[in-house]
Amino acid sequence: MMGKRVRLALRRAAQVIPVLILATLVVFLLLHLVPGDPAVTLAGENATEEHIAEIRHFYGFDQPLAVQYLHWLANAAQGDLSHSLISSESVRTSILQHFPATLLIVGLAMLLSIAVGVPLGILAATHQGGPIDTAVTSLASLGVALPNFWLAMILVGWFALQLNLLPATGAAALTEDPVSALRHAILPAVALSAGGIAEVVRQLRSALLEVLSSQFVRTLYAKGLPPRLILWKHVLRNVGVTLLTVLGILFNRLLGATVVVEAVFAIPGMGSLIVQAAIAKDFPVVQGVVFAMVLVVILTNLLIDVLYSMLDPRVSV
Amino acid sequence: MMPMNHLRRRDVLLGSGAAVLTGAAPRQVQAAATVLRVSNRANPDGLDPATGIAGSDHVALYPIYATLVEWDYATLKARPGIAEEWSFPDPLTMVLKLRSGVLFHDGTPCDAAAVKFNLERCVNEPRSSVKGDVSSIASVETRGTDQVVVHLKLPNTALPLALSDRSGMMISPKALASPNGVVRNPVGAGPWKFVSWQDNARIVLARNESYFKPGFPRIDNLEFTIIPELNTGLRSVIAGENDIVFRVEPPQKVVIDRAKNLTLVMGPTLYVHQFFLNLSHPPFDNLKLRQALNYAIDREAFNKATMMGLAEPTNTLLPKSHWAHDPSLDAAYPYDPAQARRLMAEAGVGNGFEFNVLGYPDQTAQQRQEVLIEQLGKVGIRMKFTRASVGDSSAMYFGPEKRGDALLAAWTGRPDPSSSYSQNFAKEGFYNTGHVQLVPEMPEALAAAQSSVDLDQRRETFRRVQKLVVDNALFCPLVFDPEIDAHGPRVKNYRPNLLGKPKFDEVELA
Repeated sequence: MMGKRVRLALRRAAQVIPVLILATLVVFLLLHLVPGDPAVTLAGENATEEHIAEIRHFYGFDQPLAVQYLHWLANAAQGDLSHSLISSESVRTSILQHFPATLLIVGLAMLLSIAVGVPLGILAATHQGGPIDTAVTSLASLGVALPNFWLAMILVGWFALQLNLLPATGAAALTEDPVSALRHAILPAVALSAGGIAEVVRQLRSALLEVLSSQFVRTLYAKGLPPRLILWKHVLRNVGVTLLTVLGILFNRLLGATVVVEAVFAIPGMGSLIVQAAIAKDFPVVQGVVFAMVLVVILTNLLIDVLYSMLDPRVSV
Repeated sequence: MMPMNHLRRRDVLLGSGAAVLTGAAPRQVQAAATVLRVSNRANPDGLDPATGIAGSDHVALYPIYATLVEWDYATLKARPGIAEEWSFPDPLTMVLKLRSGVLFHDGTPCDAAAVKFNLERCVNEPRSSVKGDVSSIASVETRGTDQVVVHLKLPNTALPLALSDRSGMMISPKALASPNGVVRNPVGAGPWKFVSWQDNARIVLARNESYFKPGFPRIDNLEFTIIPELNTGLRSVIAGENDIVFRVEPPQKVVIDRAKNLTLVMGPTLYVHQFFLNLSHPPFDNLKLRQALNYAIDREAFNKATMMGLAEPTNTLLPKSHWAHDPSLDAAYPYDPAQARRLMAEAGVGNGFEFNVLGYPDQTAQQRQEVLIEQLGKVGIRMKFTRASVGDSSAMYFGPEKRGDALLAAWTGRPDPSSSYSQNFAKEGFYNTGHVQLVPEMPEALAAAQSSVDLDQRRETFRRVQKLVVDNALFCPLVFDPEIDAHGPRVKNYRPNLLGKPKFDEVELA
């Protein structure tokens, strides 16, 4: 069994490299297809053609696109993600400084999605058709429909500006001041988790209803097992794979959704980093951030795959 | 309750930093350390003033780098900086007399040799972004340690105020010689020393104990938090997490008015929203069509619709409070759609015309575009917009590509008006993207504006330049952006300036 899981992990890991190359190549091409010459921008006002050509040569923009990409890829493979064209900061340093803030709010939003979504999903499924089910599914629909930036601003208005309970902006490092870091992360995480909670509730409810109506559950009821035991021991185990799938997708979606929430809360995370870099055509930073994000997404998927095989031995290599 | 605790903890931590930097007794500094927290919209594009390009960098550069010349906040008249006086013994020579004893943050002297080194670097450094400001400099020599003689290729009385900008920000030659350079490790002679900079997050500065102005700065530490979203920046001040936010959008004034703990600070700026026109090809090589464009815009209505009525409508590059403003031009282009139609008919396009415009994609820019599309559409002028970011649209319009017939953007202003006028309207001016000279008298008028030293004389020369620009409708200005700043209850003595780039050395904390 263990060997099977290791083989699965290795096979998935081998897929990392082509996916990484494809993702960074697409972003690289997109950046270069957008009109505008970064050398002209970097040369500043009053720049002569010669000066612009110098800048173009200095940064290698005069090389064919394939050469530029391969050069970047070769350096990235050695851990050198280059430097920002704008501020000269090392891209690796920027990512290491910005990723923790994003991971903290995404992690906290995931925890909230599970902690609130799972009980509500179970409650709705076990009270199918009743008022509790109606209330929970209505709330879930609302959660899906609410734009998280709107919710974020409402939360800031109430909890930060009126009640002064939590900070309105910024972030703190978890390693330096855990209490402050968590206080800063609560409101963004709540704003992010509204959609996540709704997603977990809806998916878990429908998966549970499907299992609850299956023949083996009917048999368990016929055998006289108490409903609580059937739910916790047999039914929930069968929806574990569905829940894992939802959580995997949710994590990847939340990573992308932080862009807006980070802007509302002025969190110096990956979202704000990539937005500012994309606006400024700071190619190395955009490439580096995409590289890091794709890597995290792939590793998450890998982890989910391995967990699948642990939950359901039928998952094949 | 908790935010206050948070502030105190941070104050104490920064106080400790200052104590280490200044060598003062930790207990004393901790007790007295004050920190001014500023919400800053933009991450600098580097802290080397001679190679950076963004106008938004100045807010972070001014505290670190003292300038040779400074300006009066309200009028932008030149006043002493590191140079305590300057003179033009002849039109091709400028002599700067420096203050004695000015030191860079690394302890090296900011003397005549350092000034010569910096000016020559602005002229010769391949990556210099300020070559245009110092293009009139032929050579620089020192006389003793406190006099610098600048020999000019052509008369340029705009040079003193140009030296209040990037090219006058003095950098330690020793720091420039270090392998790290000063892009991320700046060393100047300004009121605060550099401590740290985390991209898109925070810049921390600590008091320069040896700053040449006694009693300044008033605050121990200065901390910029980079918050690109202005609404969020304003919320951070309402929540007490920052002390000042500057240059917020006009619609946010209502929020400031409603917030009980904020003080609103307003003033005019040189930042003018305008159409830059490419004069080298149709339609704007035609004077009548340029004038028609200017007559077809209702600037008051534009102001009300996009700026809450808080901006200053204009026909020129200089607001009413500027020393060279000419009131006789205030009514040069009233809203007159009938006149616009007449001019178009005289130009042979009685049914109107179409032009291609580059513009920005953000929400407020699009709102401005919509109002103008509506106004110009009424007389038959149709605009086809291509939207791109600030950097991209500028590069496409002013760069080698020369795309579009016009750019709807803004001129951020320069300390000396002759820089603004020559860069926009001289044939070789970077922002005269068509690089044609449609006004034969313009070169001589611009040269005269750069030759006179006396302020009254200069005002007269600028009157002529402005009239030539307005009469020939060489561009289409709309309104001056209002300075709208907000600060919390602790902040005292904060004053905006006409350049719209705040300085903080006079600010105190209660």
